[in-house]
Amino acid sequence: MKKTPGERAILWVGVALVTAWTLVPIAVMVWVSLMPLDALIDYGLLQWPSGMSLANYRALLGIANINAVFGGEAVAVALGFFNSAVVAGAVAVIGTAAAVIGGYAFGRFDFPLKNALLFALLSVRVLPPIAVLIPYFVILSTLHLVGTYVGLIVTYLTAVVPLLTWVLMDYFASLPLEIERAARIDGCGRLRTLWHVTMPMAAPGIAAAFVIAFLTAWNELLFGLVLTGGTAKQTLSPALLAFSPTMPSTGTANLGMTLFAASSVLSTVPPLFLALLAQRYIRRLNVADPVLSQVLR
Amino acid sequence: MKCLAQPLERSDARFAFTIVVGLLLLNVIIFILPLIYAAWISFHDRDVILRTQEFVGLDHYRRILSSPEAIAAIFRSIIFTAVAVILSLLIGLGIALVLNEDFPGRPLLRAVILLPWAFSEVVTATAWIFILNPTFGALTGLLRPLGLVEANHAWINENTALYWVAIAFVWHIAPLGALFFLAGLQTIPDSLYQAARIDRAPALSRFFHVTLPYLHPTVVIVVVVVTMEAFRSFDLLFALTRGGPGAASQTFPMLIFRYTFEFSQYGLAAAASYILAAISMIITTVCYVVLMRRRHIARIAAAAIDAIPRPRAAGTRVATQP
Repeated sequence: MKKTPGERAILWVGVALVTAWTLVPIAVMVWVSLMPLDALIDYGLLQWPSGMSLANYRALLGIANINAVFGGEAVAVALGFFNSAVVAGAVAVIGTAAAVIGGYAFGRFDFPLKNALLFALLSVRVLPPIAVLIPYFVILSTLHLVGTYVGLIVTYLTAVVPLLTWVLMDYFASLPLEIERAARIDGCGRLRTLWHVTMPMAAPGIAAAFVIAFLTAWNELLFGLVLTGGTAKQTLSPALLAFSPTMPSTGTANLGMTLFAASSVLSTVPPLFLALLAQRYIRRLNVADPVLSQVLR
Repeated sequence: MKCLAQPLERSDARFAFTIVVGLLLLNVIIFILPLIYAAWISFHDRDVILRTQEFVGLDHYRRILSSPEAIAAIFRSIIFTAVAVILSLLIGLGIALVLNEDFPGRPLLRAVILLPWAFSEVVTATAWIFILNPTFGALTGLLRPLGLVEANHAWINENTALYWVAIAFVWHIAPLGALFFLAGLQTIPDSLYQAARIDRAPALSRFFHVTLPYLHPTVVIVVVVVTMEAFRSFDLLFALTRGGPGAASQTFPMLIFRYTFEFSQYGLAAAASYILAAISMIITTVCYVVLMRRRHIARIAAAAIDAIPRPRAAGTRVATQP
């Protein structure tokens, strides 16, 4: 329908507002990450760009030297990238695999108490994660799993598997039955049918589940901090905080600011790249909150 | 039975049941058992140095509910959640209304608005630290030349910390609300808008009579989701203010964290966790029930808008008039 000039003006004001609200904080962060530290401290953030460079990124990637104060923190960030990649990768692979099997069982079959079982599985999502922090911390330290990949991966899986099971359950339920039935009648076993027939059809859902699992593990701070903070297995989120001016322990106030910005920007690249790869799949999915969509059904 | 070919039915059910029972067993081991253990911890006083455990019953729960520090933290959590929910509704709906229109570059903007949501809460905190930093932050840098604030203006102070964190949180979570609203907007039949236009209903009236009533279930979803997320939020608060300055933004999850790792009060922290879980469930349930009951909220708002005198009011009643 055609818009009046007035309506069009309002629309463009809206577009401008939405763009500004979303992009200004990001732009500020990227801007600071390109600045030399002394320029930031002397002239503030809003200044004519002089001496802008990728020096901070080069320092973080170990290509160039950085100031002595934050040498250790920069190494920790580099290490954090590696540790987070290992943890998030493992969580994504194991979590997706478990959720494929679980989602298939829930999405394809009826069995007694199905809804009750589903709700029991999803109740994990209702509780605040900090509610299970103490038992996890005590149990994992008794098992000497604090400061290890295994401890953190298991912890993330408990959060991720129920969510992904829900996402994939809906997806499997939406796939046509006839092809599977044909494979079964032709003598294909249950697991072989799942592997060769159903999973290729469900590829979009599986890709989305993989990205969700990876993002969750990559972004998380609380458990990463508690279970790996300060150890050699420290993940990226707690490592970033070492630069943060709000952390009293560093005591170096604003000296790490530009590195802080650069490492934060850098930390968003792997998940965004992954999301971009899987974007056309994710768009087709309903990634609403699982508990909620059941309550509202 | 929604099973496959008839002869295979029994083996299919068994197959599914095996998987589900396995999953649930796993769930019990990694989730239910720790919860029971947490309850046990909350009933005991644990002396880290002497390595002793003493049964204290509900003492920890009583201590928390009578501690001014904890009550203040609970109130801060509620205020934080309320601000986050209201702003997320407004901004999420605003973004969705813009994206629901046709304009060049819409697919690009639709992808761009999701960026803050894909960022971790730690990165969200980074972005807002550079806006709010007192010395060289963007806000100070922008407003000082205009003479509106003095140098080193502390944006995050005793009075404002909680609200700034809420705003940063909304920046992170509102895109999710916008996604829900966009989906909701697309369910509204175009014919309704056309009818309203033929009746020459002004834009505001169209919004309150056609759009809002249709969005009611979406509003419920967004309120419940944001409430849940805001009430449990920890990462952003920790990265942006660490609960400070003083205790100005120390919400309940932050307090639990301090109980655990600053004071090693595991019993107290476990009890507080149960209280947090209980409050969070109560609030979510209340939100849901109240909002689902009050189907007439949108109608009230519409009536209020109609009551505003308008120059052309005489000829612009919406289609409800025969």
